[in-house]
Amino acid sequence: MIELREVTKVYKGQTVPAVDRLSLKIPEGETCVFVGPSGCGKSTTLRMINRMIEPTSGTILINNKDIRESDPDRLRMGIGYVIQQIGLLPHRTVAENIAIVPRLYGWPKEKIRKRVDELLELIGLDPETTRDKYPSQLSGGQMQRVGVARAMAVDPPIMLMDEPFGAVDPIARNYLQDEFLRLQREMRKTICFVTHDINEAIKMGDRIAIFNKGRLVQYGTPHEILTRPANEFVSDFIGYDRVVKKLGLYRVADLAGPAGCVAREGELPEIGRLMREKESDVAFLVDAHGRPCGFLTTEDIGGMGDEISPQSLMQKALGRRGAFAQREMVLRDALSLMLEYDTEYLGVLNGGDLAGVITLSAIRKHSCRKEGE
Amino acid sequence: MNYIRFIQDNIPLILEYTKAHFSLVLWAVLISLVLWVPVGVLITRSEKWANRVLGIANTIFCIPSLSLFAVMVTIPFLGLGRRSALVALVLYAMMPLVRNVYQGVKVVDKSVIEAARGMGMNYWRILWEIQLPLATPVIFAGFRITVVMTTGIAAIATYIGERNLGRLISEGLTRFNIEMIVDGALLIAFIAIALDTMLGALEKKIVPRGLRVHRGH
Amino acid sequence: MNWMRFQDALFHRAPAALAVHILMVLISVVVAVVISVPLGVVLTRPRFRRYGFIVLNVLNMMQTIPGLAIVALAMPLLGLGLKPTIVALVVQGLLPIARNTIAGLYGVNADVKEAALGMGMPAKKILYEVELPLAMPIILAGIRTSAVYVVSVGTLAAYIGGGGLGDLILTGLNMFWSEFLIVGAGLGAVLAIALDRALAYLEYRITPPGMSSE
Repeated sequence: MIELREVTKVYKGQTVPAVDRLSLKIPEGETCVFVGPSGCGKSTTLRMINRMIEPTSGTILINNKDIRESDPDRLRMGIGYVIQQIGLLPHRTVAENIAIVPRLYGWPKEKIRKRVDELLELIGLDPETTRDKYPSQLSGGQMQRVGVARAMAVDPPIMLMDEPFGAVDPIARNYLQDEFLRLQREMRKTICFVTHDINEAIKMGDRIAIFNKGRLVQYGTPHEILTRPANEFVSDFIGYDRVVKKLGLYRVADLAGPAGCVAREGELPEIGRLMREKESDVAFLVDAHGRPCGFLTTEDIGGMGDEISPQSLMQKALGRRGAFAQREMVLRDALSLMLEYDTEYLGVLNGGDLAGVITLSAIRKHSCRKEGE
Repeated sequence: MNYIRFIQDNIPLILEYTKAHFSLVLWAVLISLVLWVPVGVLITRSEKWANRVLGIANTIFCIPSLSLFAVMVTIPFLGLGRRSALVALVLYAMMPLVRNVYQGVKVVDKSVIEAARGMGMNYWRILWEIQLPLATPVIFAGFRITVVMTTGIAAIATYIGERNLGRLISEGLTRFNIEMIVDGALLIAFIAIALDTMLGALEKKIVPRGLRVHRGH
Repeated sequence: MNWMRFQDALFHRAPAALAVHILMVLISVVVAVVISVPLGVVLTRPRFRRYGFIVLNVLNMMQTIPGLAIVALAMPLLGLGLKPTIVALVVQGLLPIARNTIAGLYGVNADVKEAALGMGMPAKKILYEVELPLAMPIILAGIRTSAVYVVSVGTLAAYIGGGGLGDLILTGLNMFWSEFLIVGAGLGAVLAIALDRALAYLEYRITPPGMSSE
């Protein structure tokens, strides 16, 4: 656990503190994201945790031990550190870069070699081909991954990450974020993560600390912050789309209901009756193998659906072949899919199988729900 | 040709001068390295001192070489001869060596240092394992300038009593011996160009490996 | 220290020697500038661009030839006196200026030239209004290096009868008169440092404000 007590930092020659009486607790195994505009003190705070910057006053505790009691270099050896520019040593190979901290600890060569390969595999790089490359031979995304691997070399319980994915392109960034979330689900490290991007904060953080002008403005879970912004600064910072952003926190599986009515092609002429019987507003069409290939709603059959030709019903249903969402899809993307297909329903899939239905009204109700309801 | 005959007739003398020349250059460069490389590293820790030291180096570098030799001679402990010559040459070498060591170390990417510090590497480790290796190309460039420059200026030390290749020129001028002058001048010019070319070829080779390879190779 | 001899050196010998020294430095640097700047300009024009790099390499190589060797070579070719001295100094002074002119003009950002061309500026106007002003700090740095160097090599001119401050040093060395050494060497050092500072100031003043960080 990391705890900051009344931490203040005033830089030499400045009167306004860069960080002002900051108190904060980061529970073990959680990712805490520091977010705010540039110059808000988030990086300074991060760098005080591994004593790259010494606070002017206040105390920082790691596992209830004052960090001033340990030698700065020893302290840093035990804390993973990733920065935006990565800072790989250009004259050392990938393996040598990852081995820096193990070498500082004096690990035997064989153990280091094994650990390097293990880490390379963990971050999705082939040890055989990557090990002996130099940083200049890697792409931006690969370099960033090596940076993360290097920080995790001795499996430190705490990691400090200063805009770690800030320098890579948006597609690679998204990918790296997902990868890192996957790793973190297994590793459960205590992570401090600095970013200026609120979307990244919402995506990565178990908790978010919003900074402004050296002060902590709000500290809470992403849901709390999106639902109840503490003040105008926070709501401005989150943006007008905060409701949509909140939808990024939940998944389709959270709101899916049972698929009431499933029909085969042959049953199309009687579809209206079937739906009434099952009291369902939506009927899924499955192919010969039982795989969903579209759906119809009460609107389509116009109440007296029996008069519409089965062919046109078939076409309508097949037109929604893409209007299905995987259980893991976030609600924001599901909503986008609904708008794209101009429908109030989406089929929910578990792999290739139909697993239920999600409706626009369910999403709407969910987003209006207040905390605790 | 008279010029070639002069060399043929005076091989032992020329060899003696060459030996004396290079022993002076060797000592001057060695002392300069021992003295100025640490100074260059040291001043990276303080911008104020860096400006002062580089300012002094710059000023010394402006002083005409014959002037500097002449001033050295008047200093009692130094006098005519090798000591004065060495002190003057070492003072000249201050500028290229201190400047290049300083710039080489300073120019190392700040994020690399930041990351290394964040991993718990101490000052000496960072200096020894990161800054100096990455600065070697720039430091070597300074070394190259120093060697070539020292070789040239050392010839002038003949006027304060050094018996080296410069003596061919000074003797030639006093005796009005054209062959001696021309051979001496060409020999010195040739040695300087050859040294510069050799060290230049070496300079290309000492770039740290990671900085030489690039994507796609 | 012999006070009489010191006065003799400083008040009777030095003024003339200093005047000659300044004169030969000025003439040499001016001639060197007049030759090497246009040369640098020509060598960076598209038509001769290919040769620019070659000339640059040759100049770099010639730069390593010690000053004493060049002064010594001037004597057998041109005899004794001020004239061969100035020729030797011009040859010495040419190199840094030409090198920096070429490097400075090559260094002008291609986008800036492209933009000027795109606005319809003729090549000559681009040279005078864009390229030369932008390259000027580097050219001036070359002139500064050259001037300091010429002062230094100028002291050696005494050995081929060129006069100047080297005369005092020569006398001092021959007679073991430290007073002459101090006056001659001291004035040489002061002259070089003063020139260096003056040209450094000019360089600083002439650098466009937007480029001064470099």
